[in-house]
Amino acid sequence: MSPRTSGNGKDARKASAATAAGKRLGRIEQALKKAADKSAYIAGDDKAEIRICAGTACHASGRVALREALEKDLAARGLSDKIAVVETGCHGFCEEGPILVVRPEGLFYPRLKPKDIAEIVETSVVGDGVVERLLYKHPQTGEALAHERDIPFYSLQQRIVLSLNGKIDPYSIDDYLAHGGYTGLARVLAQDDPEAVIDEVERSGLRGRGGAGFPTGKKWRFCRANPGDVHYVICNADEGDPGAFMDRSVLEGNPHAVIEGMVIAAFAIGRGVGPVSGYVYVRHEYPFAVERLRNALVQARERGLLGEDILGSGFDFDIRINQGAGAFVCGESTALTLSIEGHRGMPRGKHIRTVAHGLRGEPTNLNNVESYANVPWIVLNGAGALAAKGTATSKGTKIFSLTGKVVNGGLVEVPMGATLRHVIFDIGGGMLPGREFKAVQLGGPSGGCLPAESLDTEIDFESLTAAGAMMGSGGMVVVDDTTCMVDFAKFFLKFTAEESCGKCVPCRVGTTRMLEILERITAGEGTTADIERLERLADDVIEGSLCQLGGSAPNPVLTTLRYFRDEVMEHVVNRRCPARVCRPLIRYTIDKDACTGCHVCFGACPTAAISGERKQAHIIDQKLCIKCDTCRQVCKFDAIPVETGVLAVAEGRQQ
Amino acid sequence: MARSDGGNGKRGTEPKGSALYEVLKGIDFEKRELLHKAKGVGLFDLVKERDGRYRCYACTLCERSCPVDCIEIDFCPEFEELPFDVDLERAAAKALQPEIDMKLFDDVIARIREGSGLIEAFHTTQETYGYLPRQALEEIAGEMRLPFSRVFGVASFYSQFRLTPVGKFVIDVCMGTACHVAGAPLVVEAIAQELEVPVGETTADGLFTLQTVNCVGACALAPVVRVGADDTYGRVGPNEARKLVRKLRKLEVPS
Repeated sequence: MSPRTSGNGKDARKASAATAAGKRLGRIEQALKKAADKSAYIAGDDKAEIRICAGTACHASGRVALREALEKDLAARGLSDKIAVVETGCHGFCEEGPILVVRPEGLFYPRLKPKDIAEIVETSVVGDGVVERLLYKHPQTGEALAHERDIPFYSLQQRIVLSLNGKIDPYSIDDYLAHGGYTGLARVLAQDDPEAVIDEVERSGLRGRGGAGFPTGKKWRFCRANPGDVHYVICNADEGDPGAFMDRSVLEGNPHAVIEGMVIAAFAIGRGVGPVSGYVYVRHEYPFAVERLRNALVQARERGLLGEDILGSGFDFDIRINQGAGAFVCGESTALTLSIEGHRGMPRGKHIRTVAHGLRGEPTNLNNVESYANVPWIVLNGAGALAAKGTATSKGTKIFSLTGKVVNGGLVEVPMGATLRHVIFDIGGGMLPGREFKAVQLGGPSGGCLPAESLDTEIDFESLTAAGAMMGSGGMVVVDDTTCMVDFAKFFLKFTAEESCGKCVPCRVGTTRMLEILERITAGEGTTADIERLERLADDVIEGSLCQLGGSAPNPVLTTLRYFRDEVMEHVVNRRCPARVCRPLIRYTIDKDACTGCHVCFGACPTAAISGERKQAHIIDQKLCIKCDTCRQVCKFDAIPVETGVLAVAEGRQQ
Repeated sequence: MARSDGGNGKRGTEPKGSALYEVLKGIDFEKRELLHKAKGVGLFDLVKERDGRYRCYACTLCERSCPVDCIEIDFCPEFEELPFDVDLERAAAKALQPEIDMKLFDDVIARIREGSGLIEAFHTTQETYGYLPRQALEEIAGEMRLPFSRVFGVASFYSQFRLTPVGKFVIDVCMGTACHVAGAPLVVEAIAQELEVPVGETTADGLFTLQTVNCVGACALAPVVRVGADDTYGRVGPNEARKLVRKLRKLEVPS
């Protein structure tokens, strides 16, 4: 064969390869187009529709009654055909639920009651005005804000993962398809180059959003490289951290994004290697998330986006749902795989990694909900777009669930590198009126409390770990001066001590002993030696524990000792609880000058410890008082101050 | 009974070149040590009680926990009898619980046959009966061909599975961080006082069960109390909690 003909042959082969690739691309694009149902209603920002938030918090504050009232009202006016009612996923502004948004204007109505509906429909749907009294008020200026886009809670966020939350109906795959859903998957399938997908994810700098921050692309590469009969792709939606609900909201608001991310991951890991199988491990406590995910899986299968021969590409992958049963430790990768197999969720040593030897002994890739939800965005917008956001080591955005004593609690998605002050004060609207910022707790029971001095910390994986807290899954609980930091640390330790699976001694016994010491301190019986003992034990638990539940359990205690040592010493040395929380150290009294004798506390007291005539100052019998705080909460005149000090202890002991 | 030495000194009876032979030739049974390993690496043995009985109940936890799968639990003809009377204990445990309608159980069995896992089977059972009756657990063990100890061990590990009957109203008090900060401990205490039962128990009249859950995810409404599956009450203080319980009681016992 002469060089010339061989050259021609190469060109010909190249050309035929190019046409084959072109054909494949065309076929997959056609399949994607066919997947959409053209007759379905598509939610859109420019359409006349009313959106009701159907997240868990809005559901709990009464969205069902709201929807019924709205549908009744629209039907009575004969508007049912003209105005669509869309139940969306969580809007993220949970503090203000139930939320209703009138499109196309984007009018935002928070905290509604069914009786407000008629007025809103009359003014904003039939007419084009706004109901001034129902609008959201700016927390500082008190100015009424009519539009979603004007509200600082929304306008200061940068939403990637949450971008479609609150815009689409989570029960409708057509909504997701119409908003560019599954195009990332189609692109990946058309290119048919799994290594390139892994390269792209690796270049984007995406790190695991579940807490540890392991580079996602690297994990996929390891998993792909490990041999096995089948590769497993698992989504960890066992969001066990108390005070965190990001994963729940993503699954509730946009389940298809997670499914698409998982299919792309499965393709990157299994294409050309062997069969891949998927699981979503989701908490049983999240009934809406389970229901919507289940529905989304059925829809995706019907439209050929999941199951055999996805979009005609010859790639097979299916996902099963596995529900947890209330064990915090099952968020740990090895415990999670054991739980899926139907065992007790007890972690094993990590010298053999899950990517090599995970579920049923096969290579397993385990990522968090938020990590998967980032993947379609990366594929569509390129690695550079994600890498452009964030800090040197942590890229992209992160969702936090902001709760506690802030004005605007809810879901906040900000780029990595935003400061805590920005999140809590600018987006969160600062502390409740009259309250002072004391600490912010990050990362749940594995994280720690940071004081006011750390407010300017830029949030990324490294900076939070250096400060003693951790990213965790993204819980952010703000506390004010009414929270006792020792009691707070005790709360977390009690949680981890209860949730310890009991397999290894340092965690099982160590956390219990630490809890006992903290209980002594909050009872006013601690000594300075106890504090040293606590620190030493904490080191041992961290060193000796098999998994990260024990390895991070002492973090809340350590950060409390690091940043709030004065408050701990006050308990130990002066037997005082400055926040007036620890019961043996406080007592309830009545301010004789402020008390009007209105008898409200008298009626509310469960133990009849309060006595006194009407219109005369009352008295609390300290022997009967169980310090349940009821009287202080019902008092309208602030006449029940709480005292703390040596005296209270002495009396408490006598009892 | 558990064996960690691969069958007490059977070396030599295994054919050369077999997998077991390869394992056994690395063990010095007299010194109870692994050959060619760093000093101090020994073999596991079972602890004996003073009267010579083994303390091991063959619960199989060590077998499953071992990171390198070096423990295997096998049937051993030397110990034909268990150290307790299984049938007696089972009958006693069963007698403590009310009879259950086994017709409802067919659905669980059907799902198991469809390939649902153990934990899914528990969820279905609990949805049917409100708790996991012992009889149902025994049926599941039989259907899935698993030892009862294993089934019971898994059921008792997960905090969401209840092994005793529950009351008509199951009150869940959220103990998540946000709820704790907002005063959930006071709420639990108030309800416990009102019902006169500790957390985790059911009132004598069978009306209320008081439980705590780790987080229901409605942190913006803290402190949260949930009654049954779907009735969620937000921003509940101790006083409101007491009122709520009284209201529910009134629904049932009009006095």
